[in-house]
Amino acid sequence: MDELVQRLPFLCVIGTLVASFCMPVLARWKKELCAPLATLVSGSVFVVSIFIAHYVMQGNIIRYGVSGWSPPWGIEIVVDPITSLMISLISGACFFICIYSFAAIKHELERIVTGWYYAAYLLCMAGMIGLVISNDVFNMYVFIEVTGISAVALVASKGTREATEAALKYLLLATIGSGFIVFSIGFIYMITGNLNITFIAQELDPVKGNYPFLIWTAISFLAVGFGVKSAFFPLHLWLPDAHSSAPSPSSAVLSALVVKVYIIAFMKILFIAFGLEIFHETFIRHLILVLAVVAMLAGSFFAFVQIELKRRLAYSTVAQVGYIYLGIGLGTPWGLAAGLLHILVHAFMKSCLFLCAGAIYYQTGRKKVTEFSGMGYKMPITMGAFTIAAFSMVGIPLFGGFISKYGLALGSLEADLPILILVIILSGLLNATYYFPIIGQAYFTQEGHAELHAEGGHPEPKKFQRDQIPLSMLVPIVVFALGIIYLGIFPGTVLNFINQTVAILL
Amino acid sequence: MDLQLFLLNFPYFVAIILFSMGTLIVLTQPNLIKKVIGINILQSAIFLFYIIVGDIHGGIPPIYDPNLPDALYINPLPSCLMLTGIVVGFSVTAFALALIVKLYIYYGTISSPNFMKMK
Repeated sequence: MDELVQRLPFLCVIGTLVASFCMPVLARWKKELCAPLATLVSGSVFVVSIFIAHYVMQGNIIRYGVSGWSPPWGIEIVVDPITSLMISLISGACFFICIYSFAAIKHELERIVTGWYYAAYLLCMAGMIGLVISNDVFNMYVFIEVTGISAVALVASKGTREATEAALKYLLLATIGSGFIVFSIGFIYMITGNLNITFIAQELDPVKGNYPFLIWTAISFLAVGFGVKSAFFPLHLWLPDAHSSAPSPSSAVLSALVVKVYIIAFMKILFIAFGLEIFHETFIRHLILVLAVVAMLAGSFFAFVQIELKRRLAYSTVAQVGYIYLGIGLGTPWGLAAGLLHILVHAFMKSCLFLCAGAIYYQTGRKKVTEFSGMGYKMPITMGAFTIAAFSMVGIPLFGGFISKYGLALGSLEADLPILILVIILSGLLNATYYFPIIGQAYFTQEGHAELHAEGGHPEPKKFQRDQIPLSMLVPIVVFALGIIYLGIFPGTVLNFINQTVAILL
Repeated sequence: MDLQLFLLNFPYFVAIILFSMGTLIVLTQPNLIKKVIGINILQSAIFLFYIIVGDIHGGIPPIYDPNLPDALYINPLPSCLMLTGIVVGFSVTAFALALIVKLYIYYGTISSPNFMKMK
């Protein structure tokens, strides 16, 4: 039994990869079968990942050497509590977004690219799962490239001029980013002669006084590389274009998951391989804290001036990545736990918002935030979910976003930096200034109201209509919205997972 | 500065200079094909760097020879890792060129000064 569970995470990655390679072949034969097969694969990985999470929760940590080679020589796979949580999050979100894609992809993409779209989608999922479970830095680099290239393919699949331009920009900057990461891995290999994170930590501990400059260079290259990849503030230039011009299901995957797995990998290398002492001594912590604060404020400001809904959501991601990095930079138990919790909460919120934006575009063809009058009456369920996600984004109690922001505030008290609470509140208020006008417009104004009033007529009373979108689009939106409320009221289960990891890391 | 030390570490300097050059070309050149060439220079710098890391002064290629029991072999691992790196570089180049062809159909040019501009 244990033998089987040890192999399961690795089999998840391999199964998804094989399914992804079958997609283009299947599409030549029957295009209709691609979406159900992708849903089936991501759904079964989701079930398996819940089983793994249940196994890990009993206090076991899965350590598996691929094809029988023990760790210093072979590739090792380690599944600790946060990793099992991330696998469940990735496969679960991919499963529901895949259900959403049934109708959305037919509407937004040309029929001929369907097979390639699902191939890139599953490849991206396999890359993300592989990246979080891997305990070997070079293997991480390979999965970073798999995730990166398939994410670019997800953007480029739309085929419009903006999407192609954004995809090329994303590809070039992401390649520079992974170049920095692989250079840094080279430095680490020079110092320690190992690629396995656990062994790097052992080798680095006695010799870290001898190579201060090499360690500084390695850490700064690592920070730049992962900063570009995860859109950390001054390096976020590719993100708004790529996320706003991609088809809505891909935007949801890119914004909710792809940006986050790099943060998990960065955190693993920083905390486990380099260790806390280097983290505190090399000023990397101060750099992360300052840039995170700038990201939280500047991302919200940039979002505020955008007219197009998806661009506004994309800039909001820049701000939210700042929150996660703030949690890592604080380096205290509550701060780190809140940062990790925010990865989960933000995945739910941003998928929900992007899927709502896609649903609104599907029914009405509207993209701009100024055209939302009366939307709350035309699409009550979609706008209801949008409202829940926006409230959570602002940090109103009973929604998931409140818990993580509260945790960050506690973390900044623990780190003796009470000024950061002010920044968290300010950023929350800025979030309110760009989400609440959309909601207010949707519920409290009506289309053509002003003209009707000028002619002296009385507007008809507002009536709720049912959303005119397929059930397959509506269900994922509702599931994500319910997930946000669940995380807001019962965060205990998830925090339990996270606190176990924090206890290992700190 | 010690000349001997400089000469010994000369390949590292070349790798760093090539890496910076590649990054600079990608970020500053308006011509898209030149950007792809920049990506290739950057990746070649990484290959060079890894191969020097594995090199041992006076070592021979790591093919076991029964006649030389105390031979000094170089470390083959970084060179093997770079096989993966070469595959990645190849696929990124192919993908970027495909996207550039598509952009050429849309714009009729491969030189776009406003390309990296922030919107």
